[in-house]
Amino acid sequence: MNRSIDLKVQSLFMSPAALVAAGIILPPLCYVLITSFQGDTGPLSAYKLIVESSLFRQTLATTLGVASISSVLSLILGYIVALHLARQHPNRRTVLMVLILLPFWTSILVKCFAFTIILGRHGIINNLLSWASGFDVQLPLVLNRVGLFVGMTNFLVPLVVLPVLASLLAIDSTLYRAASVMGAKPARMFWTVTVPLSVPGVVAGLLSVFVMSLGAFVIPALLGGPQDQMLSNLVDFYNRQVLDWPKASAISVILLALASIFIVPMALWRRRKI
Amino acid sequence: MANSVLDPLSRRYRFVGSSLATVVYIFLLAPVVVTIPMAFGPTNALEFPPSTYSLDLFRILFTSDSWLLPLYTSLKVAIFSTCAALFVGLPSAYWIARYEFLGKLLISGVLISPLVIPAIVSGLGIYLYFAYIRIGGTTLSLVLGHVMVTLPYVIVMIIAGVQKLDRNLEFGAELMGANPIRMFFTVVIPELVPSLISAAFFAFLLSFDEVIISWFLTGSDTVTLPVKMYSALEWEVSPVIAAVSALLTALSLLACIVTIGLRKSSGEEVS
Repeated sequence: MNRSIDLKVQSLFMSPAALVAAGIILPPLCYVLITSFQGDTGPLSAYKLIVESSLFRQTLATTLGVASISSVLSLILGYIVALHLARQHPNRRTVLMVLILLPFWTSILVKCFAFTIILGRHGIINNLLSWASGFDVQLPLVLNRVGLFVGMTNFLVPLVVLPVLASLLAIDSTLYRAASVMGAKPARMFWTVTVPLSVPGVVAGLLSVFVMSLGAFVIPALLGGPQDQMLSNLVDFYNRQVLDWPKASAISVILLALASIFIVPMALWRRRKI
Repeated sequence: MANSVLDPLSRRYRFVGSSLATVVYIFLLAPVVVTIPMAFGPTNALEFPPSTYSLDLFRILFTSDSWLLPLYTSLKVAIFSTCAALFVGLPSAYWIARYEFLGKLLISGVLISPLVIPAIVSGLGIYLYFAYIRIGGTTLSLVLGHVMVTLPYVIVMIIAGVQKLDRNLEFGAELMGANPIRMFFTVVIPELVPSLISAAFFAFLLSFDEVIISWFLTGSDTVTLPVKMYSALEWEVSPVIAAVSALLTALSLLACIVTIGLRKSSGEEVS
């Protein structure tokens, strides 16, 4: 094919996407960046005020803590499910996958609503406990850290299962035959073949759920208490209540920078795999 | 038994593994399942299980303007943004999957970036940007915002679809004299139909469920269903939300079944 025709066809195929990239995807990031430098008293004033405020520091600590703990929790639960799925016959696995994909495809609002019903003071769990114990049990399970972790984990588990399952299924089955010919016992095969070879999926899953949970907004707002608000909620607070866009933008930039620390290795990891 | 993890487990561990997995399955499905009976409950109380069953909540949902208008807005935005995302995503995904070109890494990185950028950052940015170009609060702004969110998924799904096609058919068509555009329409698109359908379903669902970007873009007369639901959950939990949840869950189930069915019929592993 002629080189110039090639370029013409290429611009035909790529120009709508280029237009979206340049017209819709990039400008918002530029606007956030520019606005963050438009503080009242000098370009860095919004950052200075934010970094010095105890509200921000507290929220940052909450965000990092909640993101780490819920990532680890979802990795544990997700690994259990991925292992179970990986041991099934492919036909049966397809059926069981629905149990992962349906929650994965379910609106986060539906989940939050359901958890307020399940975990509320007069919710399903407290009712069951009251019925079983004979006392009026009213454990505070929602609008606090507990509710936040339950919601976050529920949301993140399917995101761990998919990459971990993919790496478990990619294990070459001759390795198991070799291990058993060499006399390895089941437990040893698990720890020396299955677990090490699932590491790529674990790393990919862990990185992506950690990045996802850094930006959590709906779950802390609806299932967490006032003490459990995360950076996204702080952005919304400055944008909607305080109407201080430089500060809201400065927090956004910090959040994005924080996420990038993990996004960049994730992108490199993916590229290496391809 | 090909394609499964084959380390043998003693009976005891197998049992422990399956029971733990069952607990996690229940944990994952509980919130999805709980809302269904609630949707058929009474209009004055949120209780599980409901004491009486009726269709009253659905009647309220489908007759009161305060829910019907958001539902209509969401449908409209989801349909337009899905079409736009497919229109933009199909040719670019094909080109990215098949050819090397200058700036490929840059443009595909930008197109995929909304997947990993925290939604609140995109949301705030798009709010500031659209306020500046004076289209904030319009349906157009919602559609554009949703294209940004759905496009990365559409592109990733179509690239995966293209990579499974036999490229020799495309070479063949070009050898027979079809120009690239004709070849694209007569050879590539027909083969890509299953990927296109699942990408369309996913984009539609993603847009229909989208909260955060919409939270920044809705005006008083362009409230979407998730935004309405989010503010209802934040301020006063109304039983009608149960009916909305059941509706959304039914939609997710449908999308899930269609996708799995399509992948099954094209004979690949679901994962």
